[in-house]
Amino acid sequence: MLLVLSEDHKEHLSFLTKADGSVVEEFGRIALEFLRKGTNPKIYEGAARKLCVPVGMVQHGVEGLMFLMTESSKHMISEVDFMDSVLALGFGEDLIQSLLQLYVQHKHQIRSVLSQLLCNQPAYHNLEWRLDVQLASRSVRHQIVPMVTIRLLLTRSSDVGSTQSCMDLQTDPSSLLHMISTLEAALAAVKTSHARRILRNIK
Amino acid sequence: MLIHLVCCRTTTHSVVCVLQRFRFCGDLDCPDWVLAEISTLAKISSVKMKLLCAQVLKDLLGEGIDYDKVGKLTADAKFESGDIKATVAVLSFILSSAAKHDVDSESLSSELQQLGLPKEHATGLCKSYEDKHSALQDKLRDTSLRLRRLDSVSWRIDYTLSSSELREVNEPLVHLKLQTQGTEPGSSDTTVVSISPDKFRVLLTELKQAQAMMNALQ
Repeated sequence: MLLVLSEDHKEHLSFLTKADGSVVEEFGRIALEFLRKGTNPKIYEGAARKLCVPVGMVQHGVEGLMFLMTESSKHMISEVDFMDSVLALGFGEDLIQSLLQLYVQHKHQIRSVLSQLLCNQPAYHNLEWRLDVQLASRSVRHQIVPMVTIRLLLTRSSDVGSTQSCMDLQTDPSSLLHMISTLEAALAAVKTSHARRILRNIK
Repeated sequence: MLIHLVCCRTTTHSVVCVLQRFRFCGDLDCPDWVLAEISTLAKISSVKMKLLCAQVLKDLLGEGIDYDKVGKLTADAKFESGDIKATVAVLSFILSSAAKHDVDSESLSSELQQLGLPKEHATGLCKSYEDKHSALQDKLRDTSLRLRRLDSVSWRIDYTLSSSELREVNEPLVHLKLQTQGTEPGSSDTTVVSISPDKFRVLLTELKQAQAMMNALQ
């Protein structure tokens, strides 16, 4: 499939079409650093001074390039489609080649970074437990009540990094055994023929 | 002890491994990665391994690990950073798991030799383990799950003279401040309670009864 880019996007990238190969490579490198670590305004100012263009243009150029890379990686477009889309923007032949190199080298990395951005459910991190026996309480002496106390540690990744949360739970042994057998049944469900058929068709 | 005869993944000298339950793994099968890393452990000399064990034990006891020393010890065998991490991980696992399941050092030594660790390495490891056995168990007991620990109690007794409701009150009042450890490590919560004399007497009696029951158990 061909990438369809908006007018603003094309305008931002038009500045790059007139620049030469080394500049485009440098911008590509800056764009990928942007993805990994975030923007650095000083780099934009340095580049703007060297090329004698306003800072805003440099910033738009870098952001446009980065958006091009992420959209291409997101849709996993083939090299031919990528070259055709970039051709429509008006880039020269060797610029197209260097952009293609950039795309091919960093496609998987970009995809893994993008996949990490989406996890919004808290995910399992660690589980601590203890087994206690309650012998007496204020109202009743001489009891024997076994209890399992569990601390479930979860992490949730968000824009500002990952946050940890913990949940304290308590259960008696029979509920715990029931939980274990339910979870084992869930694991066993992956091995049924129905699940296997679906997994084979996805892969 | 259930024994299954399985042909293990072939190493440089192909080994037919007897898959059995190990006490130091809690009567379960030994994890595959531990089996793999034991062959990495055999590459360093037994003297260096004993020094490595000492470093790993320091880390398990909370004294911190000196990665430069670890790097120097593994430099002869030309370990890459991945190998160094794997070695530290497998030694941590063996030592903490053995302490968790209260395994004595002879059983540990024989089980490690069954897994393919050379005799001198196993003996060195078990000697270090035996020296720090009880210290390790104490540290593991301290880090066991506790919901909220009481850090400190401070109290104050006031004497109320009068209030907006009643002109002459003339009653003592106990203020208790309880500092507890919060759910995140390093955070603490403060609870302040004020108790009237009768309620405080009831609280004290009940707590004394609980203390007597605790002492009877020890």
